[in-house]
Amino acid sequence: MSMKGGGFDRKSKASSEVPASSLADIAFLLLIFFMVTTVFQSDSNRPIEWPEAEAAMKIDEKQKNILNIWMERNGTVFMNDQPFTMPDVSAFVGPLYSMSERSLVISIRSDRLTPYIYVDQLQQELVEAGVVRVVFATQLEQSMQRERR
Amino acid sequence: MAVLNNKKQKVSDEVPTSSMADIAFLLLIFFLVTTTFPKDKGLAIVLPEQGVTQEISQRNILHLIIQPNGIVDVKRGESQQIQQMRAEQIEGLWRQEVSQNDNLIAAVKTHPDAAYEYMVDVLDALHSANAERISLQVLEE
Repeated sequence: MSMKGGGFDRKSKASSEVPASSLADIAFLLLIFFMVTTVFQSDSNRPIEWPEAEAAMKIDEKQKNILNIWMERNGTVFMNDQPFTMPDVSAFVGPLYSMSERSLVISIRSDRLTPYIYVDQLQQELVEAGVVRVVFATQLEQSMQRERR
Repeated sequence: MAVLNNKKQKVSDEVPTSSMADIAFLLLIFFLVTTTFPKDKGLAIVLPEQGVTQEISQRNILHLIIQPNGIVDVKRGESQQIQQMRAEQIEGLWRQEVSQNDNLIAAVKTHPDAAYEYMVDVLDALHSANAERISLQVLEE
């Protein structure tokens, strides 16, 4: 009791605060880590000329539920950066479709000058795979362009 | 002059760096919030289920036959009369036809050699006219 304040009034040398100056560094480090490890799309774009449409609507589905099927002018089909022959398409899409619990949306990305017969064959394959929702991917056509044409 | 030089200047000549991180974060958050990734756009259709065929009376069908040069032949039901049109004119035609017959179905038949673009043009016109019952086929000779 002789000691004043029970010996607690000595000032402690260790700071009781969290060091805030390095917080920003930590946050940046995390940020850079996530930037480097994030993967956006699994397939790269094929060189196609897009068809245009005025009534094009946004695809209302999560990105992971959209499967892009690319089709070049000569009718070659690409999915996930790999070429496919037409009869193999349904065998590849079918399991994917049932795995996604029937919520898979197919986005057909075909060159504007592809002969329609290939697009029809692709549709037949998709019907065989049981797919119901299909989108013909287009670029939005501006009305101004249409008037000029 | 000597007196002036001796006096220590009180204003710091350095840019304050302690708030740089805050500014960087502020910018970062601003761009995070304002960035929208472009969503894919397209014309959605619903494919029929396998093995399901529906009989439709010829009276309710509007045949749209797309020729390889992009010209659309319009044929109403069983009549043999053919009207030639451009894809942009389909929108008006559909609105007019559907006002007379609610159960109308658009049967788009594309020539095998016709460019995909022409089919998209016709489909675009039908979508613009709020058509819902569309059947896509390939033209058989």
